Amino acid sequence: MEVLLALTISVLFATGIFQMLRRNLIRSVIGLSIISNAINLFLLASGAYQGEAAAYANAAGQRSDALPQALILTAIVISMGGFAVVLSMLYVLSVRYKTSDSDEVKGLTH
Amino acid sequence: MNALVLLPIVIPLTASAVAVLIRAHHRLQAAWAFGAMLSSFICSGALLWAVWSSGAPLVYQVGNWAAPFGISLVGDPLSALMAVMCQLVLTGGFLYALGCRDQCAQYPAFYPLFLMLAGSLTGAMLTGDLFNLFVFAELLVFSGAALTAISDDKFGTEAAYKYFYISFIASIALLLTCGSLYASYGTLNIADLARRIAADPSPPLVLPAMALLMVFFMVKGAVVPFHFWQPDFHTAAPTPVHAVLSSVVVKLGIYGFLRMTTLLFTEQAEVIRSVLVVVGAIGAWFGGLGAVGTYDAKRMLAYSTLGQLGFILVGIGWGTPLALSAALVYAFNHSLLKAAMLMLAGSVASYAPVKTAAFTAITGLGKKLPLAGVLFMLGGMGLAGIPPLNGFVAKFMLFSSGLDARAYPSLAAIGLAGIVTVVYVFRAFQRIWWAPLPEGVKPKPYGDRLLAPAFLIALSVILGVWAEPLIALSQTVVAWMTSPEQYVRAVLGG
Repeated sequence: MEVLLALTISVLFATGIFQMLRRNLIRSVIGLSIISNAINLFLLASGAYQGEAAAYANAAGQRSDALPQALILTAIVISMGGFAVVLSMLYVLSVRYKTSDSDEVKGLTH
Repeated sequence: MNALVLLPIVIPLTASAVAVLIRAHHRLQAAWAFGAMLSSFICSGALLWAVWSSGAPLVYQVGNWAAPFGISLVGDPLSALMAVMCQLVLTGGFLYALGCRDQCAQYPAFYPLFLMLAGSLTGAMLTGDLFNLFVFAELLVFSGAALTAISDDKFGTEAAYKYFYISFIASIALLLTCGSLYASYGTLNIADLARRIAADPSPPLVLPAMALLMVFFMVKGAVVPFHFWQPDFHTAAPTPVHAVLSSVVVKLGIYGFLRMTTLLFTEQAEVIRSVLVVVGAIGAWFGGLGAVGTYDAKRMLAYSTLGQLGFILVGIGWGTPLALSAALVYAFNHSLLKAAMLMLAGSVASYAPVKTAAFTAITGLGKKLPLAGVLFMLGGMGLAGIPPLNGFVAKFMLFSSGLDARAYPSLAAIGLAGIVTVVYVFRAFQRIWWAPLPEGVKPKPYGDRLLAPAFLIALSVILGVWAEPLIALSQTVVAWMTSPEQYVRAVLGG
């Protein structure tokens, strides 16, 4: 289970970073969203820091640490708000600049 | 009594929610929000006074959960001083917003967002929990980005987008830090972490956590390799907002580095310090030269912030008690001066026919504004470190601490970079106040009021002539900072 979780986190991270480095603004925001989900999984994994009582496979008699799950809940809510803000700004940008190419959004560089 | 720590955070956040409810009555909302700002400033002042006079920090355990399990809000001398600094400049910024002619200051969301910015910034300074720091930092970015996105400048949204995007990556770094430290030590309370890291620095995730936390504070503080958002942001943001963001919000990074080197990672502090000296010296040059070469008064001051932060970081990097107290005094003075200078630049820009702070548009406008000229001159002297102003006191302390620490190469680097400050400040002064007004340019008859910058400049003159209280305070703070076990004992008890 741990190997699977580690692989999932790494794949999500790699996909997220690849998307963030694209020139398309929308893709880069989607990359950010993928990375923040990878972080949530990472926080979940940090709750099983003794390697025995895992959050995701609760064996009989063992309890997993509940705090990281509370942290994830907070982080999910905050990132949801963040994406609402960033997508609304992206909408304004796309209306104003008529493009989603990050190289064309350069009103402030002289 | 301990609830005094809570007040500077709770008053602005509650008042922000109430201010949304009374959005239909603009004047009532403004009066309400100003009252809230003033009272939270007074509360933070009372907090500093209580901490200073009793010599013991005030710790508030939220919900009465005992220390390592619940969230602690810690008003120790360092965070109380930082909170007072933030609230002072935020109140000044609010005063400017009341007398400013920007369209966006009339929006119903402006004052609530400004109060949210104030509450979250103070919260980030006062919190004693790493995850709570993340929450407050996110709230800070949300309100700062929203305030910029509604700017009158048509590029406001672009600037806000850049700021938000880069800050979001910084928040991801902080979350990774939280995860790594929690996996290593099973706690997120800063005092508890400090104790455990000092006792056993062996877990493999500690050094990555340290690096990621540095990334977070560097982005927050616009330290040079992570500064991309800052100049663009300050060119486009509304004047009251960037006056606050460029002066006190970047001090979150300074605060973070002070905490990291003296509390969280005392064992590994040498590594952090050597990095800080290098990025600080590069930043002092990069910011100074960037300010000399720019086309816009606000952008010039934004680059100047990068440079001045470089000086403070070098001070933290030297790490001697004298250098730390010099860095604190420098940070305090820089907040006052830079906020006032940005307000003056914004005020001059508000007289331009088309509101912009580009030098081509504001050349010669100063003829109508002799008072702003005097204030800008005084502020510029403060930034450059010329005697009667408090900037001189700070620079003198910093350079003598460098001599004391025998850090001659870095001292030479920032000493030479200090000369660049004189160049860009007085070049801007010449272009705005000495150059003749071009033919056919008709300045607007009214502009932003000068009360707030006059207040801040007057305060910095007073602190320059009568500098002892601030220096004594900073030395008390440093004496406290250099014995981290006191902080740990105060928070965890026992």
